[in-house]
Amino acid sequence: MSATLLLQSALAGLTNGFVYALVGLGIAVVFRGTRIINAMQGEFALVGGIAAYLVVERLAGSLWLASLAGVAAGGLLGVLTEVLLVRPTRKRGGTEESYLLLTLGIAFAISAAALYFFGRDARLLPGIGGESSQIMFDAAVRTHALWLMAIASIVMVVLWLFYHRTHIGLSMMAASIDEEGAATIGINVPLMRTLTFLLGGLVGGLAGVLVSPLITLHYEMGLLLTLKGFAAAILGGLLNPFGAVVGGITLGLIESIAVLSVASGYKDVIAMTVLIVIMIVMPQGMLGRGSRKGG
Amino acid sequence: MSALLEVSGVSHGFRGLQVLKAVNLTVKTGSITGLIGPNGAGKSTLFNIVSGFLTPDAGEVRYAGRSINGMPVEQRSALGLVRTFQTPQVFAHLTVHENLIAGGYKASRTGMLANLVGTPASRRELAALKREADRACERFGLSEVRHRLAGGLPAGQQRLLELARACFGKPRLLCLDEPSSGLNTEEVNQLMALLERLNAEGISLLLVSHDMNLVAIASVIHVLCFGEIICSGVLRELQSDPRVREAYLGV
Amino acid sequence: MDRLLTSIRPRTAQALQGGATRGMRGVAIGLALLIAWALVPLVASRSIVDLLVFAALYTIAGLGVSFLLGQCGIVSIAQSVFYGIGAYSTAYLTTHWGWPALACMAVGIGISTTIAFAVGWPILRLSGYFLALATLALAIIGHVLFTEWDWLTGGTLGIGGIPALRIGEYQFNTPQRFYYLVWPIALLLLFAHRNLLHLRTGFAMRAMRDAPAAAAVLGIDVHRLKVQVFVLSAALGAIAGSLLAHYVTFISVDSFGIDRAINFLLLAVLGGARTIIGPVLGALFITIVPHALSGFGDIHAVLFAAFLIATVIFLPAGFGGSLHRLVESLKPSERVDDK
Repeated sequence: MSATLLLQSALAGLTNGFVYALVGLGIAVVFRGTRIINAMQGEFALVGGIAAYLVVERLAGSLWLASLAGVAAGGLLGVLTEVLLVRPTRKRGGTEESYLLLTLGIAFAISAAALYFFGRDARLLPGIGGESSQIMFDAAVRTHALWLMAIASIVMVVLWLFYHRTHIGLSMMAASIDEEGAATIGINVPLMRTLTFLLGGLVGGLAGVLVSPLITLHYEMGLLLTLKGFAAAILGGLLNPFGAVVGGITLGLIESIAVLSVASGYKDVIAMTVLIVIMIVMPQGMLGRGSRKGG
Repeated sequence: MSALLEVSGVSHGFRGLQVLKAVNLTVKTGSITGLIGPNGAGKSTLFNIVSGFLTPDAGEVRYAGRSINGMPVEQRSALGLVRTFQTPQVFAHLTVHENLIAGGYKASRTGMLANLVGTPASRRELAALKREADRACERFGLSEVRHRLAGGLPAGQQRLLELARACFGKPRLLCLDEPSSGLNTEEVNQLMALLERLNAEGISLLLVSHDMNLVAIASVIHVLCFGEIICSGVLRELQSDPRVREAYLGV
Repeated sequence: MDRLLTSIRPRTAQALQGGATRGMRGVAIGLALLIAWALVPLVASRSIVDLLVFAALYTIAGLGVSFLLGQCGIVSIAQSVFYGIGAYSTAYLTTHWGWPALACMAVGIGISTTIAFAVGWPILRLSGYFLALATLALAIIGHVLFTEWDWLTGGTLGIGGIPALRIGEYQFNTPQRFYYLVWPIALLLLFAHRNLLHLRTGFAMRAMRDAPAAAAVLGIDVHRLKVQVFVLSAALGAIAGSLLAHYVTFISVDSFGIDRAINFLLLAVLGGARTIIGPVLGALFITIVPHALSGFGDIHAVLFAAFLIATVIFLPAGFGGSLHRLVESLKPSERVDDK
């Protein structure tokens, strides 16, 4: 196995890793804000990607416009979900089960809708810098991939700042940790929950926009992304802000390196097995810091 | 009287806070032992350690002469070490009668496969459990409500049910966590009488409580303060002990 | 019939069975349903009977998921794996090695339960979300392996030529014949689960569901019980899969993916996971409704998901739960009132 091949794989893994990290970040955002594990996070990505695709294909819009549309679509879906579906569930006494079934149901609804409206074909979105690649140490990596990593990193920093330095971000954290306490100091808790889903949706939509040029856009991608994002989130520790990043990159690298020795069809099996193993062995994650313990 | 439960040198901390510091405590067989102390003293932690819901950082818990460190809750139960909870944990969607039958799990044998098939042994076993449950209802004064869902009972009766259920399996050591919380004076008196009756039948009791009236039935009381047993004795002695006064008033 | 309805409310059973007139009414209803059931293949079209056969198969597989959800609060999306194992065991062993049907089913059950045990033991220690996602991960792994291991499963090309079930010379190779075979099996399994609920293990399960800490204090090994139910659920999946293989005589990997797992979960939730009749209602729903909506094309998948969402929000007890309440309210008021 040549060094170039290894490097190539590592770069691909790194790229994927950032995507998983973004999705995982979205899951962590929603979890930290509402204590709900969002089984439809990947669908935000799917919807974002589809919105971007439609802008490019049907409206002949620029990539910028498409990206904005994608992110906005994700955010919109997040808000609608929270207001129309999560709230009524809460009102009727939402248990862990019911939120899980709810978000799963929505995930499948969206996936099925995508199938119905767009068929089984996979679509490709044009990436930043088109098809061009950069050469790094004899290995080729697409320009878009580099942009992806850069943008994802910026988003992570922005999120951290948001949660720790802005009034709203701190309010959102407070509302999730102690609802009643937060309400007594004047925080609009229901609004915070909606904002949380909005944020999760935005991040998810962005992930979709960024990843669609690299992997194809198809109706099943949501679920897989959700699971891999979830793997990233818990690998890094669900409550740790940088956890999803570390987890995502680790997962992406493991996947890519492993695929060098196994047939590519098994790629998803590897990620899923990693997920199961970490849940059992390390539920608090690598950077674990007082997260939900399994059991 | 020999010691049924021996807690030796048990220490435990949470996130840098030392909640229990080398606690030593004994429950003699056949006795009613009380554990009191101000809020935050570590009573719940100690209780959870004894009943198996928490593993201590250090120290040993011995029960009936053997170390039970790390033994899971269900195994302790099989050995006769049973506890109740501060908020009665009744099975809300089951009737009172069914709650009691569930209490008979330890005393019965048949497994899943036998139950699927519905073997005669399974059915006989259930019939026996039902009869036992009827008897328990009478003993604990629950006969009138035996077919009500446990979730709909008032606190006092839920408390009774939890006790009755715990006693179903003939425990040796019954650990009670704030058993009088949520009860009015009349109910507390009834509870005291009931506990004394159970003790007379051979069940040793470990009682954690805020309620000074309730702990009066104990033959020896330990006072826990800031994770240490500061003194032990009979209630009257303790009430006039300056250390106890300071512990309660100083907090 | 009342016995199917009165899953976990023996009071109801007592109330229904007390009184000669009430008892006779119950028997009359039961008999009517039985006759209706028996007459269906004689009057309905072949395609309807075919649907009802699938309904029975889904009832069996769905019972596993339903039981796990209703009694243990575990959301499992892994049933498609066990369904597939049952189907492929039968398919492979009958076509390649000529084994008899029962032996193949036994193998399918054996493999499913072993895997369920091996994977379940560590996974079932996890909390709700983790567990559900772990089962989903399992479903994906299963689906990929079914696809990749084409030497065993034929991959996307599938396995064909699976012989029909038969007793002596009589073959169950038409929908009508299979209908009369598979529904009694389904009902038998439903009754077995009802037994389970009303005997010692069932009490332990319901205790575990309501207050796990208190259950442990009564000597119930909660973890072990969960694993047992998971294994049982896997066995049901395998049984359904084996029967499927004999019925359709050709199976391919498309039937054993995530959407199948979701169907099973959906029917469990829709039908009402805490009732014994729930899986039947749910299974009938998910087979008949797409047929009724077939004019609309693939949209039924969206509608299903919409139904799942609506049920979760508005009808958490499912159809079975609602039916149950309906039956209760029809009884004359000799009832203990709840707060």
